[in-house]
Amino acid sequence: MADKEINRKLLEIAGFEGDELEAFLPGWMESVEIIGMTDEDIRYSVEEYIPKNWDIQFRGVRKMIGAYLREMVEITNTKKYKAEGKKIIYGILPAVCQPYSALKNAAGEDAYVSFPDLMLVTILNGFFDKADPYLRYAEELGFTYGCRHCPLNKMRVGSFAKGVLATPDVIWSWGFNCDEGPKTDEMIQCMLSESWKYVISRIPHDTAFGTPDDEYERVEYMSKVLKEGLDEIAEVTGIRPSDEDMKKAIKDAGRYSFKLGQLISLVCQSDPVALGGNSLTQFGQGVAVPFNCGIQYLEEALDITIKEVKTEIKNGTGVLPKGAPKVGSYFVPFCIPWIDRIFRENGVATTFSQTLSPSKSQLSPGKYGDDPYMSMAETWLKMPFGQNMGYEVEAMIEKVKANKPDGMLMGFFDFDRWLGAHQKMAADMVEKATGVPHYYIESDFWDDRDYSEEALRTRIESICQLLQMKKDME
Amino acid sequence: MAMKEILDELDSLSRARARELGKAKQEGTPIIEYTGYFIPEELIRAAGAETYLMCRGGEPEPPDAVLDYMLRFMNPLARSMAGFLELGLDPITPMSSMVVAQQTDNHVGRISELLEFKGINICKVGVPPDWTKDIAFEYYVESLKKMMQRVEEITGKKVDEALAKTYFEKSNKICELFRKLNELRMKDNPPIGFNEIIHLQHYSFNVDADIMIEKLTQLYEELIDAPGEFDADAPRILVAGRAFAMGDYIVPGLVEQSGGVIVAELLDEGVRPIEKDVALEGDLLVNFAKNRYLDKTPINIQQPAWDIRYDKIKELIKDYKVDGVLWYQLAFDEIYDMEYTCLSNWMKDSDTLLMKLESSYEYSREAMGPLTTRIESFVESLKEGK
Repeated sequence: MADKEINRKLLEIAGFEGDELEAFLPGWMESVEIIGMTDEDIRYSVEEYIPKNWDIQFRGVRKMIGAYLREMVEITNTKKYKAEGKKIIYGILPAVCQPYSALKNAAGEDAYVSFPDLMLVTILNGFFDKADPYLRYAEELGFTYGCRHCPLNKMRVGSFAKGVLATPDVIWSWGFNCDEGPKTDEMIQCMLSESWKYVISRIPHDTAFGTPDDEYERVEYMSKVLKEGLDEIAEVTGIRPSDEDMKKAIKDAGRYSFKLGQLISLVCQSDPVALGGNSLTQFGQGVAVPFNCGIQYLEEALDITIKEVKTEIKNGTGVLPKGAPKVGSYFVPFCIPWIDRIFRENGVATTFSQTLSPSKSQLSPGKYGDDPYMSMAETWLKMPFGQNMGYEVEAMIEKVKANKPDGMLMGFFDFDRWLGAHQKMAADMVEKATGVPHYYIESDFWDDRDYSEEALRTRIESICQLLQMKKDME
Repeated sequence: MAMKEILDELDSLSRARARELGKAKQEGTPIIEYTGYFIPEELIRAAGAETYLMCRGGEPEPPDAVLDYMLRFMNPLARSMAGFLELGLDPITPMSSMVVAQQTDNHVGRISELLEFKGINICKVGVPPDWTKDIAFEYYVESLKKMMQRVEEITGKKVDEALAKTYFEKSNKICELFRKLNELRMKDNPPIGFNEIIHLQHYSFNVDADIMIEKLTQLYEELIDAPGEFDADAPRILVAGRAFAMGDYIVPGLVEQSGGVIVAELLDEGVRPIEKDVALEGDLLVNFAKNRYLDKTPINIQQPAWDIRYDKIKELIKDYKVDGVLWYQLAFDEIYDMEYTCLSNWMKDSDTLLMKLESSYEYSREAMGPLTTRIESFVESLKEGK
């Protein structure tokens, strides 16, 4: 029998209170059991892992953790939902959430819609340091350790093979960045279950270096690809989002994105730095990932955090003393939250992430407001990390200039032949354009088995020393 | 003329290609380099350019030479594309007016960007992997058309359709001759092995088509009644994987030295796709696109692919009486790694043995010992099985 008290404490940390907590607790404990975590795992999280690595002095951050824990329960309910006749629709990262949110808007409670592998790695490694058993299991099944595969895909294989995930009615895999994501579904279908139905949407990386990816012709093609994808899903599930469902999804995402931009700007302009990069980036997932419970819990957490950060700024307080150097990142590795902590232990604050910070172009109104497919396609094609390197670098330079970090941290995508491959070149270009030094760390965003705390500490300490010295000289 | 003499002559002609291109360039003919086999070199030549296939590999230094710019977990063939240039060992790319790079996966995608970063004029041809969709095929065709426009701008000439048809006829003839040679490899003791075939394939990209046709015809006639080249009971092997690059000949050589014979292959690059001819009536660009995209066994990155490719492997196993499959995988080539997992799962109850061999193009003396041992053990196991 699992220990209720320790799980209750966890939920308190995660911003649950009173009746809501008591109502959520039984489902949460069932979920923990399905996932295979023990009381000791929860205790470690409550007493050590979360307090050491997350800014839980902020109610908004606690609520954000709570929003993710709700999603874990949803994932472990997928089999139950399927048995009840609900439709199960999965997706994968990277994507934009709008088309998936539109499906959820159309289906309501009759469908589960989210990215379970992403959620599981985020939750299990981000808050419990417990994704390993699933990753190892996928490796035992043939997702070989040595070939540097993506941990998200390993999680999809591992969690399905371990019986945590229901077979979806359909998984809609966007391969706009990634080759391995869609091919993982082919692998699951070939190896584990012929009934693993997938729909893939792809577009080649074929724009010329430095030319816009979001020009009309490409937007139009992608809009057709998205429409075909949604048509296929409608055929399989019977769920077809109306224009209103899509417009709502676009509006919700736009509102969330605006608030996120506001928080990032507040944090990056603050001195002392008001909030750490882990939390800041974790909020960023709201623009890319559909939450089956809806965006409202994460948005509530974001609203609270914005207020709390404003208060911190007003009071002149923060997570580090005034004047501490700040680093921006390509993507703050929040699934390995101790990296943020080591930076802070060395007097440097991590702040914004290039990838999930909206650029000016992303925040400006779209050109195709009346056409939801064009609009969604445009939203994706404005995401810098899907663009050709020359065009992406323009947005990176813009963000570095706007957020004024003392240094930039690149790397952490050693498994990704798209997002990880170009970072050294991009670093060189942005550094030349902005004068802000860039540091590259080869590591894995989702999985720290290959890159232990001790292995990375020396590198991080060196970076921090360099930044402190640069700051002193200034 | 014996097989060795034919191969030596073709080898000599192939090696002369770089100098020929240098001369052509001096005389005002643009050079267009290209990657993979989704690019219609026949049309490019018919627009007045000379072409060259970028597919060198098999050496350890070029992949390492790009590590200041690139993630090290990219496959060594892709890294070699830019690595030879980085080392100053690429005679062709610097004099090319343009490099046409098929965009099939992220390895080649990001390496194309590295070449752009280095100032090379790259033309990317989008090849969507979701090949069963009509819009994906249309996208590929449109991408080819745009590429041809850029070629024509460089050469200042439109495609000469009659010439293009002649070039495709010749390519078809070369493919037909390779099919005929492959038939000879079905014999109990084949008169020709993969080591020769892969060299011939590579020569066929560099040597004048008429000469190639003449030599392949001569070779076929020479071999049609020739005795087998191998031991009578030599284990018969199928190789599958992405590619044996030009220069990557160590493994085939070791297999044959160990007493095996590679009788068939399923490769995605560096060889001509010989399953079907390009149709010669109608729009040649569309015909080519159909031939490469719709009418042949999909390459590994296309989706769906792996069950179709497994069917093809089974067909080859049956037709060529294969005893074992050698999965030749480039290091960190993640999608091939995944396909291998499926293949090994499907083949676990099969009588045909399967072995994966990964290559990072590291063929130092330290690496050769274990590599040789693995291949010898595989061949020995196959012999015992026979």
